[in-house]
Amino acid sequence: MLNFFHNSYIFFLIEKLINFINSIFFVLLLIALSFALVFSPPDYLQGESVRIMYVHVPAAWISLASFSCISILSILNFIFKIKNLKLITKSIAPIGLMFTCIAIVTGSIWGQPTWGTFWAWDARITSMVIMALFYLIFIVIHKFFDEDDKANKISSIVAVIGLINIPIIKYSVEWWSTLHQPASIKITGTSTIHSSMLTPLLLMFFVLILYCALIFLMKYKTEIIRIKKKNLRRYDQ
Amino acid sequence: MISNFITMNGYGIFVWSSFVITFLVCGLVYYKTRKTLKKYEKEFAKEIEELSIEQKKTVLRNSKIASKILASYNKTI
Repeated sequence: MLNFFHNSYIFFLIEKLINFINSIFFVLLLIALSFALVFSPPDYLQGESVRIMYVHVPAAWISLASFSCISILSILNFIFKIKNLKLITKSIAPIGLMFTCIAIVTGSIWGQPTWGTFWAWDARITSMVIMALFYLIFIVIHKFFDEDDKANKISSIVAVIGLINIPIIKYSVEWWSTLHQPASIKITGTSTIHSSMLTPLLLMFFVLILYCALIFLMKYKTEIIRIKKKNLRRYDQ
Repeated sequence: MISNFITMNGYGIFVWSSFVITFLVCGLVYYKTRKTLKKYEKEFAKEIEELSIEQKKTVLRNSKIASKILASYNKTI
């Protein structure tokens, strides 16, 4: 059991997982895209434009989940001071920023046929932009601070402050009168989406989660190599 | 039928641009991440090669990860 948590075993698992995801990814992507673009029906109100949902919604879910994850791990890092948590948060942040930007851009494109405008300073959109800024600050801190400990401390504070924004994003459509529609999929309660649309949505979500896992593992592996490379310099001296 | 699939009843430009932007960005990030990983693996392998035989043996004996990085790099070349 102890062997499972050993760094070299984790590194071995990372390599295996990267190869496994690489081998199944394109097949799953093709299946998900076929459902999203061909087999799913158009919406009775929005017509074919509803297909944008299959990239917009998973991107938004991933961006929210990534930031929540970074914030929770930052809090745990404050308490337990586990080195690996720093590496994990640093590896997740760029993925989260990318999906936040994708959610904002695809949402903006979807806004034109649905609301008649690409942009509105509506509560949901504005709070998503604020989250993108939090991601950006988190990444910039790691880029510009030479001292790892100082960078981790400041970026953790940023992540914890940014956590306040998560419930604001989630409930913005209920607290304020917004252009953005309320959630159709609820974990507790009845969802108002038909299974013919829910299936492609979940498939696309699964494929994008696999993609995130792949990027995360590659970034995490890069971070481990970077540390090992730093340690190697001790032998040079 | 193909024409309908492309135009999507007038919504084609919105739907296709959303999908293209998403997968283009994903592809670029994948490419950049992989390139950085390979660069670090290469630099690490190079630095190990520059060590003396004794130092190299010590590093590989003390760090299983170092030998795994080296093996993974050797597989790709």
